[in-house]
Amino acid sequence: MTREQRIAYAFAFPALAILGLVVLFPFGYNVVISLSNMGMKHFWNWRITGFQQYWSVFSEGIFYSTLAKTLIWTAINVFFHVVIGVSLALLLNRPLPGRAVIRTLLVLPWAVPQYITALTWRGMFHYEYGAVNLVLDRVFGLQGVAWLSQPVSTFAACLITNIWLGFPFMMIVALGGLQSIPAELYEAAVVDGASRWQRLWRITIPLLRPVLVPAISLGVIWTFNNFNVIWLVSNGGRPSDQVHILVSYVYRAAFNLYRFGYAAALSMVIFGILLLFSIRFIKGTKGTEAVY
Amino acid sequence: MIAEKVATSCRVVERSNAGPIPPRMGALVAMVVMALMACSPQGTGDLVVWNTMRPEGRAILDSLLTEFGAACGVRCSQIYYEPEELRSNYQIASLGGSGPDLVYGPGDQVGPFSEMELVATLESLLPPQFLEGFTPEGLVWRKGHLYQISDQIGNHLHLVYNRALVPEPPQDTDTMIEIARRLTRDEDGDGRMDYYGLAWNFEEPFFFVPFLGGFGGWVMDEAARPTLDTPATVDAFQFMYDLKFTHRVLPPESDYDTADALFKEGRAAMIINGPWSWASYLNKGIDMGLALIPKVNATGLWATPMVSTLGYSVNVNLRGPRLQLVLQLLQYLTSDDAQRAYARTMRTIPSRPAVLEDPVLAADALIGMSAAQAKVGRPMPVDPELRAVWDALRPNYQSVLNGTKSPAQAARDSQADALKAIAEMNQ
Repeated sequence: MTREQRIAYAFAFPALAILGLVVLFPFGYNVVISLSNMGMKHFWNWRITGFQQYWSVFSEGIFYSTLAKTLIWTAINVFFHVVIGVSLALLLNRPLPGRAVIRTLLVLPWAVPQYITALTWRGMFHYEYGAVNLVLDRVFGLQGVAWLSQPVSTFAACLITNIWLGFPFMMIVALGGLQSIPAELYEAAVVDGASRWQRLWRITIPLLRPVLVPAISLGVIWTFNNFNVIWLVSNGGRPSDQVHILVSYVYRAAFNLYRFGYAAALSMVIFGILLLFSIRFIKGTKGTEAVY
Repeated sequence: MIAEKVATSCRVVERSNAGPIPPRMGALVAMVVMALMACSPQGTGDLVVWNTMRPEGRAILDSLLTEFGAACGVRCSQIYYEPEELRSNYQIASLGGSGPDLVYGPGDQVGPFSEMELVATLESLLPPQFLEGFTPEGLVWRKGHLYQISDQIGNHLHLVYNRALVPEPPQDTDTMIEIARRLTRDEDGDGRMDYYGLAWNFEEPFFFVPFLGGFGGWVMDEAARPTLDTPATVDAFQFMYDLKFTHRVLPPESDYDTADALFKEGRAAMIINGPWSWASYLNKGIDMGLALIPKVNATGLWATPMVSTLGYSVNVNLRGPRLQLVLQLLQYLTSDDAQRAYARTMRTIPSRPAVLEDPVLAADALIGMSAAQAKVGRPMPVDPELRAVWDALRPNYQSVLNGTKSPAQAARDSQADALKAIAEMNQ
């Protein structure tokens, strides 16, 4: 090892040590717990039991129903994040009076801490006192909806909250991407007689891909693992314990049902799903490759 | 100066808990020296109490902590959590070797905490003369060890009614339904009810249990086996369902805070709630009355709320001087004076009989009715299996009340889910 390499390692060491402490050690500990029988009766005196907890994860129906809900949750959220985010970015990328103010207002949902937004939306969906029903009643003359009393409507309430929270990120990313597209490309396309629609699909979207693919990839991972919104809006998966995604069910299994080994195994399965997705998505879309 | 304060504080503790100060000078000196050692702030840091108290209770706790802190020269603080949140957070914190010094909550949290060895056994840490001052049910034992010292007995549900709307409380369920139907109305004609006859928390099965008992059922047997798939459970679920969907006397959506707010606004004539709520109703100026939860006409049995304690457990991670100081704090918070303060403000039933000799408390109609309700209630089990029962009942209770499951199916699923959860717990 050369002197320069040694110096480089010395500089990197503190960061690596902290990374090891806060990421690698908990991850390794979780792997060990996932192979154990840790639970209420074996809280301190747990022992390694092999892959029994993984077997429990895959043999219980709750895993598949919750996985299906998680996929629906992720797909709907990311779809609306991208559509709303890119649409607003296209709108803000052109001359518009008060553009800076509008952009600031649109970023606000992202700037507010997630749990505050989630609890605020939970209050807004309240049947008796919530703003949503007041608007439905007083503005549209519609009867109020008991949003939080049925699993489907509670899930819808969680979706609306998370869409509200998530679109500003996509908007900012897309806006940055749009501003980096050279104006000459559009000018040349206009000279060649390309319509607005053709310019969108042939220039804008392909050139946004390098920024959108990593953003979508991150969006999928964040949404798939979004514990705060689903837990806080549904008040812990209520009603009927039907409003769970995998990550909220992990929490419930560990801290409500005392199945620590099972919860650790389930969290490893979630990690595996997301790892596979990220690798396939980035490879499939060639998102990290240069466009020019 | 500090020594004076400490001595004063510890005299407060001793006076409250151990009766008259021993006449012999030697004993007095020994007690003061022990108290001085126990209250030494060196190496102790701030003392923290996690609790599930309502705002009125927290205000009293604050003043008690301030008083104790000033006497002992330490800072004492409290943090409030919802019961489920407190349980989860305490487990995580104490597993990591930290957490609060004292954890306050209902007696049933002793089950999982003691099973996981997260709270200290107290029988050998506290003076026998202090423990003798409690009623037997005021001390929560499990498997031969003492885990919780209560500051009140009860924590049970009652029928609370607004006298301005309900002059005479119902004695049976048929009358309750009749009154509730009369008082549930859509005043502005917009299709939504503006006033409800009755409200309670639809999210927690603790509020379902009184009716389960009234229909002749219960959550578990003597051997801590769940007993949920029974005709009594089906009937009790059916009763809940009928109140909401047939008689339409309940709000469409109602968690604890909604029911509480409706009652405080005069929009719910009756509410099923516990002693922790009364002070807030009285402060709000509601002319409230308290009654037994009505007798079930179909069985002729009184509704049977679960009766338990509310009290303090000690974090298992404490050692040395800090543990001694926390034990002093525990004695102070459950002392006669502390319990008297809670009882006078919140109308709770003290766990130290000496406090009930207070003429103001002895003459209090609310405390009298609370004691009467406790008599027809049943003790809350402290077995950890009760956690599984709650977790199994909760979604099924909610499903009945949102109309997505039939009572029979909900009873079957409750039993199956409880058995599965217990098996998983015991893995």
